[in-house]
Amino acid sequence: MITTKELEKLATLARIKLTEEDKTSLVKEFDSILGYIDQLKKVDVSLDSASRVGDVKNVARLDVIDLDEAGHVDARERLLDEAPDREGDFIAVKKIL
Amino acid sequence: MKIDLKNLTIQKAHDHMLKGDFSSTDLVKAYRDEIAKKNPDINAYLEVFDDALESAKKADENFAKGAEISVLTGIPFAIKDNILIKGHIASASSKMLVDYHATYDATVIAKLKKEGAVFLGRVNMDEFAMGGSTENSAYGVTKNPIDTTRVAGGSSGGSAAAVAMDGVLCALGSDTGGSIRQPASFCGVVGLKPTYGSVSRYGVMAMGSSLDQIGPIAKTVDDCEIIFNAIKGQDIKDGTTISEETYAKDLVGGKSSNKNSAGKKSADKKPVIGVPRDFLGGDGIDPAVMQAFNKSLETLKSKGYEIRDVKLPNISYSLLAYYIIMPAEVSSNMARFDGVKYGLHSDGKTGIDDYFETRRAGLGREVIRRILLGTYVLSSGYYDAYYNRANAVRRMITDDFKKAFETVDVIATPTAPSPAFTIGSKTSDPMAMYLEDIFTVTANLTGMPALSVPCGVAPADSSKDRKVDLPIGLQLTARHGDEATLFYVGKELETK
Repeated sequence: MITTKELEKLATLARIKLTEEDKTSLVKEFDSILGYIDQLKKVDVSLDSASRVGDVKNVARLDVIDLDEAGHVDARERLLDEAPDREGDFIAVKKIL
Repeated sequence: MKIDLKNLTIQKAHDHMLKGDFSSTDLVKAYRDEIAKKNPDINAYLEVFDDALESAKKADENFAKGAEISVLTGIPFAIKDNILIKGHIASASSKMLVDYHATYDATVIAKLKKEGAVFLGRVNMDEFAMGGSTENSAYGVTKNPIDTTRVAGGSSGGSAAAVAMDGVLCALGSDTGGSIRQPASFCGVVGLKPTYGSVSRYGVMAMGSSLDQIGPIAKTVDDCEIIFNAIKGQDIKDGTTISEETYAKDLVGGKSSNKNSAGKKSADKKPVIGVPRDFLGGDGIDPAVMQAFNKSLETLKSKGYEIRDVKLPNISYSLLAYYIIMPAEVSSNMARFDGVKYGLHSDGKTGIDDYFETRRAGLGREVIRRILLGTYVLSSGYYDAYYNRANAVRRMITDDFKKAFETVDVIATPTAPSPAFTIGSKTSDPMAMYLEDIFTVTANLTGMPALSVPCGVAPADSSKDRKVDLPIGLQLTARHGDEATLFYVGKELETK
């Protein structure tokens, strides 16, 4: 139901490297899962606009920064510290140009 | 005094601490002794926190002063590994976040800290909450304390097992398609998936954003109620949270709000129980489960409850819709793990290679499967056939439930189609594992609250390879915002 080529396309879109072994088993598993969820195509539904969105409403809030007791931006240092590669106040990545 | 961990509840522990029979420090030490004995085999805890005794000491000081005490002061909690506690590792049982330290407190954690609760440690789960057996953890399966050849359920398997093995008094889990209720059922404890929006998800790692809720796992309905009341509430940091008033106008709270068969409104009548019999006839359901379920209904009947058959015409499509909507949301939520901002980084040749290498190295099999499935159902050309259709079906199912709730107050089903299954028996077939969620996903699709309460056992039976009695859970679902009725009926089920 899904070809290896289609699977490779999905993996590229999702930015995941797959081995040949992965591909073989995933194609098989996809067949069984898609075989199941394809039953949904038989359900009689109206695809009007009301059915596409839930009951959720947009909620806005003020864009304020949480400060710690000392008046510093609370999470800034800790957030930067979690980056795999940090240079000063920047997160470092490979050159892209 | 020697603490009777087996029969301890939040209220009992609180009363003992008030009277000075034992302190929070004593309690934490007692649980730590149990953990040291049992966890090497069960593997419920990923880490026992060093700072737990410090928090316990603080609670004890407050008890001594008699100040700032709530019923949760000094009460030990185990926290699912996808909920952030500032400064502690939160790995979601994934290699992707093996060394990730939470940079802030989740709202539920902040609320519990304010009550003086003690965090004993972080507990195991299926990686990023994807699974129904905790076998998808990167740190090993959590065994069921009742029979260690069996799974504890999932994804909040560590939370349920920690409570069931007397390794903690209560726990927090998260539930996207049954991840609180199914492990609670497998381990013989109580679990609540609250109404969508009633508990803030700020600081819990998102899996399926339109489905996820945080909730309690504990030994009694009363304990779950206490915890739920402490963690619920509107939060500016989670735009999906609702206010107390959102659903209040429709509810009577713990009493029947339905007109009786004569068309008269009788607010003092017991809640009416609905059973979707058409949905419970499948041969995928273990006979022992149906036996325990029917026996519990009889008990309710003998207590004066009215049991009615309800029709939910589209409920059989729930699992189909769920396994389209959930992976779609997973594929989008998991995109944040890129090896740049936080978490694991695996080096490739170029910047874009880094993504491919990092995600390959950090994410487990089931997570990759769901990301790819989600990417597929959201692809252009398939979007209408899958995602939009699933959302339309979701709406139809919600309408069915709303209609059923015009004549009944709670809907009862088993929590899971079987008792805890043996470790490894479903790992090779993802579809068999997905079918485990058949009764639980509806509450996530509809956003309605659901509670799993122990309702009996599948008796030990050598012909079925059951060495011991295995617990079975009964699931109650109520109207949006009507947790009160769940607690009311749940407590009746506990006192047989």
